[in-house]
This record gives sequence, C-alpha cells and structure tokens, in this order.
Amino acid sequence: MKAPETGAWRRTSPFAILFFMARILRLIARNAWQSLAPLFALLVAYQGDLVSKLKLGGVIFAVATTTLALLSYWFFRYRVGDRSILIRQGVIKKKQLDIQFDRIQGINTQQNPVYRLLGLVTVSFDTAGSAGSEGNLPAVSHAFAGSLRARIGNRRAATSDDTAVDYAAPDALLRLDWRDMVRIGLADRRALILFAVLGPLFERLGDNADEVITNYVERAADGAFQFGVASGVLIVAAALSSLILLLAVISIAAALLRYHRFELWLDGSTLRSRGGLLTRHEHAMDLSKIQTLRLEQGIVQRLQKRFRMTARQAMASGKNRRQKIFTIPVVTAERADHLRLLFLQPEAGRLSQDPAAGTFMPVSPCIMRSRVLYLGLLPALLCIIGLWMSLGPSSLLFLLWPVAVAAGAYRSWKRAGYAYDDDEIVRRSGWLGHRTVSLLFRKVQRVTISQSPYQRRKRLASLRMYMASGSVRIPYIKHATAERLRDYILYKVESSHRPWY
Amino acid sequence: MFQNPEIALDSLPGMQDLDWHKLHPNYASSMRLQLLVVFLGIGVALAALSFVPDISPREAGGFWALFLTGAAVLLIWPTFSIPRRGYVLRDRDIVFRSGVIWRSITAVPFNRIQHVETSSTPFDRRYGLATLQLFTAGGSSGDLKIDGLGNDTAEQLRAFILDKAGATVESA
Repeated sequence: MKAPETGAWRRTSPFAILFFMARILRLIARNAWQSLAPLFALLVAYQGDLVSKLKLGGVIFAVATTTLALLSYWFFRYRVGDRSILIRQGVIKKKQLDIQFDRIQGINTQQNPVYRLLGLVTVSFDTAGSAGSEGNLPAVSHAFAGSLRARIGNRRAATSDDTAVDYAAPDALLRLDWRDMVRIGLADRRALILFAVLGPLFERLGDNADEVITNYVERAADGAFQFGVASGVLIVAAALSSLILLLAVISIAAALLRYHRFELWLDGSTLRSRGGLLTRHEHAMDLSKIQTLRLEQGIVQRLQKRFRMTARQAMASGKNRRQKIFTIPVVTAERADHLRLLFLQPEAGRLSQDPAAGTFMPVSPCIMRSRVLYLGLLPALLCIIGLWMSLGPSSLLFLLWPVAVAAGAYRSWKRAGYAYDDDEIVRRSGWLGHRTVSLLFRKVQRVTISQSPYQRRKRLASLRMYMASGSVRIPYIKHATAERLRDYILYKVESSHRPWY
Repeated sequence: MFQNPEIALDSLPGMQDLDWHKLHPNYASSMRLQLLVVFLGIGVALAALSFVPDISPREAGGFWALFLTGAAVLLIWPTFSIPRRGYVLRDRDIVFRSGVIWRSITAVPFNRIQHVETSSTPFDRRYGLATLQLFTAGGSSGDLKIDGLGNDTAEQLRAFILDKAGATVESA
C-alpha cells in the first residue's frame, strides 16, 4: 500500500462533486425557508403560466447547485503533512482546516453505490473536541483511506505506551443477518413516531368508516342488506393492519439500508464496524476512548430478547453527536456481556450488563414517594381544585392519575438498580423497557452527592457521576454508601495515571 | 517494581470532618444590590401599570403584594443560603457544597480539570469579589462555579489549581 504523499496540495477525484452536491442539497433542505425564498420571489415576479414558471425555477435551481458543487470541488484541496492533514476549502469564504494526527480519534468512511463501483470513499475524521471543525475528504481512493488509517494507527502506537493486550484474531465479532434486519426494523422507534404523525390521518379514515357504517345501517333498516356494523369494523381493522404492515416494511427497509451485512470486528485496539446496502458505512472507535457502554431495550426488543448496545466517547457539544456514538444495533445479552469483556479487558468487564443479572442491588423504595407526590397527587389535586367549578364531582376522576403514576413508579423502582466491582459500576433503569449503563471509575470527571430534605430524613442520597459523555445518576441509595462510593471514585481517579480520554 | 497493595476501604479519606471555607462576607451585600436593581426595574414597571385605566386598584394592589413578598423573601434568602456554601481544597481535589433545602456536595479532582476561569461582574468589582469557574470534560455548562470569592482568594485559588492540574498532567 502506498503511503500518502506528503507535501503537495491535491484535489480529490472529480466524483467528489457528488459529495458536494449532496451537501448543498442537505444544507438547502435544512434551511428550506431561507434558501428557497429568493426562488419563490422570482417565481412570483416572473410573468407567465405556472408550468413554465416551475420549469424555469427548476432550471435555475439545478444550474445554481451544480455550479456551486463544481466550484466547491475546484476550491477543495488537501495536503497530507508530517503531523497533520490540511484542508483548504470554501468558494467565497475561504477556510483552512489543520487536523492534527494526534487529535484524530478515528477515521470513518462512507461509500455510496457510485463510489463503490469506482473504489472511492468519503473519509470523515473524528477529532477530540472542537465541534464544527471536523473535516471530510470526499471521493478519495480506498487505498488512500487505508494508508491514512495505518499512519494514524502507527503514530498512536509510537506515542503511547499502551500495555500490550493480546486481542483475538481479526475475525468478525458479530455479523447480522436478515433476521436481525427484521428485528431492527420492528424495534425502530421512528416507526412509532411515524405512526403518531399518521395518526390524525388515520382518524380521518375512521370518520369515513363511520359514514360507511351509518350508510350500511340505513340500508339494513331498509331490509336490503343484512350486514352492517360487522363489515364496518372489518374495514377499519383491515386499514389499521395494512398501515401497520406498511410501517413495518418501511422500517425494515430502512434497517436493511443502514445495516445490511453489518460486521463488527476488533482491529488491534480499535473497534470497527461496517454495513449498509447502498451506502456502506464504516465506523471506528478506539477502545480506550469509550466512556460509557449502554445496553438498551424497548418493548419490542424485549419480546425479541435483544438489546441495542452503544459505546459513547467524549463529546465536545451536541454537534456531530452521532459520530461519537458507536452503535451495535441488535445483540443478545450474553453476546453483549462477551463483547464488553473484550472491550474493557484487562481492566474491567467482569460485571454483567444484562438487566436480568442477579448482581444488581436495589435502590431505596422511598424513590416512589416523591414521584407519586409531585407527579401524581399534586397535579391531580390542582386539576380537581381548578376544574371543580366546571366539571363538578366528575373531576374526581383525576384521582385515577396518581394511581397510574404509582404503578409506573413501582415499576421503575423495581427496575432501578446498581452493581459495582473494583473498577466499574453498572446502573440499571427503565420504565417500559430496560437500560443499563456502565462506566469505569477512573474515567469519572467529577462526582456530586445531593440530598433533598426527605432524603436527609431517611439518610438517603443521590450520587451523580459526570463523564465526558454525559452523567450517570444513581438515585436514592444510602447516604453512607453514596459517600463511600464517592470517596472510592475520587481515590480511583486521583491515583490513576492513565489518560481518561 | 510494580506493586498493587490492597486498599482498605475504611482508610480512604472521607469528608466527615472537613473545615469548610466560607465565602467572602461582602457576597450577601453584592447579591442584594443586584436584586435591588432588578426589583427597581420591576417596581417602575408596576408603577407604570397602575396608570393603565383597565386595571382596578384591587388588582394593582394584588400585584404589589405579590411582588413585595417575593422581593422580601429573595432579599432575606442569602442570609440562609450563603453560610451553607463553602469549599475545601484538598491535596488532590476541590470540594464545594451548597444548598439549604436541596443540598449537594461536588468534588472535582485536579487531574480532570481542563481550564480555570475567574470573572467578575460590575457588582462583584464594587465589592471586591470574583467568580471562579472550573472546567472538566464532563458537561457543557461550567462544571463548578464558585461565586462570591474575594478577589485575592479567587486569584490564589486559580493559580493553585492550575499548578496542581499541570503537575498531575506532567506526572502522568
């Protein structure tokens, strides 16, 4: 493999125009109102019929975006230096990016079908901190991406004296097949959201069905038809089930698009995944960068006995969040425990993150009291007092609310728990589903213990551990336990000489 | 030689008998002055409101009563809240406590601090106060913010913490 040339400024392949085109379109879609307003104004001002207006608008739009993409391509140049990669871009506003190899945490690649035919990839650099200055190299050769990766890997190996760990041979740790695609598709929360959006539409359908029913009923009264309500219900049921089926199909197709032939493997101490039907996504994360490991399970996934596993690394801010989360879309509990042992060895990983594991200690049941009080009783009483005048005694129905809240609070108390050993802690939570989060003590950034008056009376406290990827809270544990854990965490952090990032 | 002695959990340093440093005595006055300026603004707005013909004197009186009680509570509150706030510097971390009703204690290890900032508002400057902010990688909002320190104290703390944070980086 040829090492990337150093020194010379270079342009990427002309196929990068595709990338710039997509970026411009995405930008337009994101700021739809501002960017389409001039076009709209032009359409209104221009004399003529609608069709020719639309034609003209379309032509202007196409010409403008193509020109812009061409110019972006022309002005995009990069240079691989000894210690960094420089990117110069911008048509009007020039921008120069200097991405230090030291700061690169991972190199991710994407390959759309055209690029795949040509052996090109779009490289995106995952850098620590400084959101918004992450660079992309569109349409470079696969070999070039590989050599960049090797180069950065070597650099890191040369600069840090990592204790050598013998990882397994680079076989795939996990492969997903079509059954997993179905699982991912069915468990996708976005399908539910789509359903919620389509819900009102569906109600319309229901109204129509009502009309049909009354129609039939009237005719039945005439004696001409003997079926009525039953067929109306049938129509509604058929419409509902076909809608659900459609959503499931869309959602499974989306899963296939993103995760087709998903593979996960370890490359030295870098975790890598690859997958996707049309655009192949390749994602990498250094094992030492992992801040928290999560295992999540929604209702559907619970039926499937599967989990979604994510590894999070430090985030500068909300920007570019997705790249900083390494996702394994579907995994069994046993496999997840096996993986986490691989990821965290030799330091930790012995605890189980399976919510059903017997190692979890419960939190105090007192946690239910404040939830029932403030989320249940208080709003209910306020509603009753506020609406008594207009609703009368029927406003007492609001009293059902605290009962429901109590049931929910009981459930989430049953699911809350924590387990720890010398090096890591796992927190379990959930209400409808399950979620467990694990973290290494030595990577904690700061700790807070807080107490409400009620907790003080009961000698309880909540412990919050702030990580570079967000915070993890263990609520309502014994104050003494919280203090002991805090002191131990501080000891672990302050005596650790290994970098947390 | 590599050593890995067992750690007796009971021997870890706790926080039971820490000697909490109080904030600067001027802090309460500075806080109240700030509040008074805000209240003055609201008071003027309320006074202007009473000229609006649609508002009955009774309603206006209600507003005033609400405003004055709120103002009184807020002005008295620092008397309770400020003595509860305090900090302790230890060899390897800084601990800050706060809260009258909801209490919390936060500990930030020096080897996790990324940078330190001191700042002072015009009110602070009038009373010779400053705010110290410590930033770690955990969370976006200033991670530990200590208001109402004396100017000199804030500066000393800043230098001390930076020194400590730098030292841990080098030894790592």
